[in-house]
Amino acid sequence: MQANLQTRPIAGPPRARPRWSPRTRRNLVAGLLFTAPWIVGFFALTLYPMLASLYYSFTEYHVKKPPVWIGLQNYAALGSDKLFWTALYNTSYMVAIAVPLGLLVSFFCAVLLNLKVRGQSIYRVIYFLPSIVPVVASTLLWLWILNPQSGLLNTLLAKVGIEGPNWFRNPAWSKPALIIMGTWGLGSTIMIYLSGLQDVPVSLLEAAELDGANWWQRLVHVTVPMVSPITLFNLIMGVIGMFQYFAQAYVFGTGINTTVGVTLGAPLNSTLFYSVYLYHVGFIYFKMGYASAMAWILFLIIMACTLLLLRSSERWTYYAG
Amino acid sequence: MRGRAMAEITLRRPTSRPRLSRRVRQGFQAAASHALLVAVGLFFFVPFLWMLSTSLKSEQDVFRMPPTWLPHDNLRVDVGGKALPVYDVTLSDGSVRRMALVSMAEGRGTFVDPAAPAPPIEARLRDAQAVLVVSLRWQNFVDAMERSTRPGVNVNFFTYARNSLIVAFFCIVGTLVSCAPAAYGFARIRWPGRDALFMLVLATMMLPFQVTMIPLYVIFTTWLHWGNTFLPLIVPTFFGNGFDIFLLRQFFRTIPEELCDAARVDGASEARIFFNIVLPLSVPVLTTISVLTFLWAWNDFLGPLLYLTNPQAFTMALGLQDFQGRHEVAWNLLMAASVVFTLPIIVAFFFAQRTFIQGVKLTGLKE
Repeated sequence: MQANLQTRPIAGPPRARPRWSPRTRRNLVAGLLFTAPWIVGFFALTLYPMLASLYYSFTEYHVKKPPVWIGLQNYAALGSDKLFWTALYNTSYMVAIAVPLGLLVSFFCAVLLNLKVRGQSIYRVIYFLPSIVPVVASTLLWLWILNPQSGLLNTLLAKVGIEGPNWFRNPAWSKPALIIMGTWGLGSTIMIYLSGLQDVPVSLLEAAELDGANWWQRLVHVTVPMVSPITLFNLIMGVIGMFQYFAQAYVFGTGINTTVGVTLGAPLNSTLFYSVYLYHVGFIYFKMGYASAMAWILFLIIMACTLLLLRSSERWTYYAG
Repeated sequence: MRGRAMAEITLRRPTSRPRLSRRVRQGFQAAASHALLVAVGLFFFVPFLWMLSTSLKSEQDVFRMPPTWLPHDNLRVDVGGKALPVYDVTLSDGSVRRMALVSMAEGRGTFVDPAAPAPPIEARLRDAQAVLVVSLRWQNFVDAMERSTRPGVNVNFFTYARNSLIVAFFCIVGTLVSCAPAAYGFARIRWPGRDALFMLVLATMMLPFQVTMIPLYVIFTTWLHWGNTFLPLIVPTFFGNGFDIFLLRQFFRTIPEELCDAARVDGASEARIFFNIVLPLSVPVLTTISVLTFLWAWNDFLGPLLYLTNPQAFTMALGLQDFQGRHEVAWNLLMAASVVFTLPIIVAFFFAQRTFIQGVKLTGLKE
């Protein structure tokens, strides 16, 4: 400390004035040392792999032999790959339907959990709990609940006179099945919304009430705009997550297909999502170059969607203060 | 708007509704709220009950139509040292007798009366109605854990559970020793380039795993020959991750700067400040990180799927999926295994409920 005071540059000839004071330099060394593991990890486990996969995407690569440069052929081949388009369609379906639906349900649940009633903490636990059940366990559980013959859901539907669909054999119902399953695990989105709702100033709601706004009007005109930044956050996270939708689809697809043998995406490729197909191409066929091209397209799509959402959000999000 | 509301208020005031009606209305509102909360809550809760119920059922009971909530099993009676299932048999004369089933063939069964086993009676199985009693088959849990999951390979769910625990433990260690110092470096030391680097940390959180997945696989399996070991799952955690660094940094910034500055004036090094002042104050957030990391490691599916192909090395998530894909699905055992798989998480949740919610909320605050 004392040394530091002595070496502080004194007003005088500005020759060879150190750009950083010794203290700054010491801090720089300390800062770099403290963050060193992350910096090393960034280069070795993020930056290098990113560049490598970009390079692989222009090659034919089967792991055993070194990659061979083939230019844009992987990307060209993707254009005429029917399964690629199927996977992209299936994923877009989930992004366009499951994500907004999930937000709507989460918001609705959060509103319920924010009502001033007794025992609310118990309800909150119950709504949250499914979201921490390990994905493989929850998917297996839902495979059993959705079992067309002896599953709980179709049994309950039959009780009220509805013949439940064959969730596993009918490609039109497999994605809705996954959406129902996903809804069960929305707990963390609900909790994020709930914390947002709790931050809505009571004074605003009271002012609206004095102005004669009823419950619904207060919800739509005060609460919804006030939590719009959280909606944006949940939306972006939901979209990014959904483009990478994997474990549920993988377990679901193989789970309903035990008798037919391992083909991912059953029934009839209706659950062949982007990441599932990418896994299939990369780690079952070991077409690493092709899979890398898919990965980079996925990356670009995700970036484009995120930017688009951020841009559009200027029009529909409201930041207090 | 305002004018109309005022008008309403002034209009209402003279009529002066009795107090009671307001209380009744509030009571009605509370009842409606509870009704809604319960109705939606059932959707979240019933699947748990179904999982638990199935895990305690016998094999026939699983597929019994219509399904029952309480697990049932055949009532059994001891005849000549054997526990035989009991049936209500409608005899040819229309009378119903409660008898034990000794054997069956071609749709016909041989029954005996436990009280008088002497002459066996033959009857069509169609005319026999199984007598059921509520019985919880705890044996399922033992079977699910001990049964060999792959023919010829000596593995069961204990193997998987052990593997999962090993992976989760080292992931927690790795995350703590790498993220806490990094977060301190970003939160409490002022150095040139820090903020730019921190933006990079945040940016990595947006990067989809698929982009780095293939080269990482090549590095870990063909260069380092770490296939079928836990190293590809554990080692990366020792290099920190954006999410936990962010979470810890947010917490460290709430520790009063004056504390650190006072120590600096006294000549303490950054390392000493970190170990002696910041870490002891950060036990709650370090617990949060540990719990969340456990959750993540216990849950992870894609990582183990990429690197582990030998059943001996399977984690619980992988083992469960493999078990299900390979067998005629024994739903009761599968659900029992799922319960065992889920239980540590639920237990952790009830011990660290606040921690969980806090973790979720902190993630929500990162804008």
